[in-house]
Amino acid sequence: MEIARNLWRRKLRTTLTVTGIVMGIFALTTMGAMAEHFNVLLNGGITYVGSTVQVGDAQGASIGNGYMALSTLAQLEKVKGVAAVSPMVSLLADPGSGAVVSVTLPDYVGNIDPNWNRYDPLKLSLSTGRWVTNSSRGEVDLGSSIAAQFHMQMGDTIALPVRPSGAQPGFVNQRFTVVGILNPTLTAPDSAAFVSLDDAQTLQGDELPTVLQGHVDPYQLITGAVVYGKPGVNLDSLADRINAEVSTVKATKPSTLISDIKSGEAVFTVITTATALLALVIGGLSVVNTMIMSVSERIREIGLKKAIGARTRHILGEFVAEAGLMGLIGGVIGYALGFAMTALLNASDSSGGLFLVTPRLTALAIGFAVALGAVAGLLPAIRAARMDPVRALRAQ
Amino acid sequence: MPAMRLEGLTKHYERASQVVRALDGVTLEIEQGEFVAVVGRSGSGKTTMLDCAGLLMSPTAGRVLLDGVDTGQLSGRERAELRSRRIGFIFQEFNLLPTLSAIENVLLPLRYSGADRRAGRRRAEQLLDEMGLSGRASHRPSELSGGQQQRVAIARSLIGEPTLVLGDEPMGEVDTETAEMLLTLMRRIHRESRVTFLIVTHDLDLAAKADRIIHLRDGHLVGDERMECFGSPVAATAAGSR
Repeated sequence: MEIARNLWRRKLRTTLTVTGIVMGIFALTTMGAMAEHFNVLLNGGITYVGSTVQVGDAQGASIGNGYMALSTLAQLEKVKGVAAVSPMVSLLADPGSGAVVSVTLPDYVGNIDPNWNRYDPLKLSLSTGRWVTNSSRGEVDLGSSIAAQFHMQMGDTIALPVRPSGAQPGFVNQRFTVVGILNPTLTAPDSAAFVSLDDAQTLQGDELPTVLQGHVDPYQLITGAVVYGKPGVNLDSLADRINAEVSTVKATKPSTLISDIKSGEAVFTVITTATALLALVIGGLSVVNTMIMSVSERIREIGLKKAIGARTRHILGEFVAEAGLMGLIGGVIGYALGFAMTALLNASDSSGGLFLVTPRLTALAIGFAVALGAVAGLLPAIRAARMDPVRALRAQ
Repeated sequence: MPAMRLEGLTKHYERASQVVRALDGVTLEIEQGEFVAVVGRSGSGKTTMLDCAGLLMSPTAGRVLLDGVDTGQLSGRERAELRSRRIGFIFQEFNLLPTLSAIENVLLPLRYSGADRRAGRRRAEQLLDEMGLSGRASHRPSELSGGQQQRVAIARSLIGEPTLVLGDEPMGEVDTETAEMLLTLMRRIHRESRVTFLIVTHDLDLAAKADRIIHLRDGHLVGDERMECFGSPVAATAAGSR
């Protein structure tokens, strides 16, 4: 109580100091929430690619870039250590949304993979409706984000791919009835529209270059394949074996994909760390300044307390607690503002938003603010605690 | 055993490359339950002697014994503990904390001695009542007069039930009438509790109401008078202790 009263004695100074901490923690919360969102997204990717071998056309620059023959699946199934192979057809669901730089995964149409929930550690589940089957036609299961983005509900109809503004005259899309909406996973499937393989191949056929249309059977083409290994099989070795035994495809080692994803994760960690440093400088310096002034103004009080029996640790504790309380107040306000801001931005974003405030981030933001205050207050507190009581009592 | 014994107490310090002999070999004993006034001109060493006796300052030479304990042998922590448990302080400028109420100021020493808070609060209320301040317990120092503030400070000095109360010009900041009232109050507390009082003052009229007057001059003990009753010396001792 006395600590709070001491802070309130200098209302303007305390308010300014707390404002400094608020700014720092606000920045830390918002940037941290963005980093948390991407980390969850990327961790989902790591889980997915870490448990599968992604296979694409040997000539393709990357997985999903190019076409493979559907018949290749049979060759892949014969490679030692393969438990299952799923065809993969993937194309952009909303080609018109193409921002030059996107910080989220693009919406995509993919074929439903019956092996996913059997082999993949990241399980998909429906919040409503039913699964599209291989024999379904004109039906779609929507990920949570894409459903929210296009305000889709059960029984609604969506044309895929979504017609972009200024579409070419030959642009074709197909209408699908929403039969299921998935629970959020906070990673790639949230942006997916899952249709049957046949429907995905139909859409893929619509997008084939004009020179190929009519000359190739789109139902014999896939974008790639997902290979699931048998239990205990090293997936990097399995990728090597696939590349050695099936010359028409290119299998990427999971470790390579994980490494690529982690380098993306590192960028967000740098963003969070840089924001924390900013908070440290703004908030920390203002706390140091305030506490130095506070100690200077209260020298006689320190002398009195020492005279009546306060030991070094008592004085140290009181001043550190005061600085820590400023950190706590600034931290709670900064976090609350950051939380409100991210909630507001998420609410205004039809795809669900870029920010994810996790319990870990909450603890980090408030814990960091308290620690910042306490550590910044430590030096002035040590000065106070070491004060000679006689000199302090006689100070003017 | 005396409540306090000062043996060859010496305190020198350096100021502007000159040695200041604030105290120079003062030796005296104060018995348990005495009410002693220390007088002398400004710079005579009164406050320095009080600071050493209150364990706020370490002497350059000599010893301070409290109830027979040589305090020079104690660690900083033990000295702080001893101050907290055995010594009460009253200062000239009251030194009340402005953010605390009167009763919270009285209770402050107990925060550091680890005493029972509930019992402490009862005692604080009782002390404020004895000081005639029971209706002012929740007032902040800024809402109290100088005399009331010093009465709060006296209550604070007594909250830990000390055996020794040290006062550095406790009546220095109040008018004559209030000073008389404060001294009367301290004498009453002394009479009822038999706590040893050592009060520094430059006011000889007030000092004359003590049991004993110690005179300091230029850091030396130059007089030690015991009074039969207020204002009547029974013995004058030129106790020069060089």
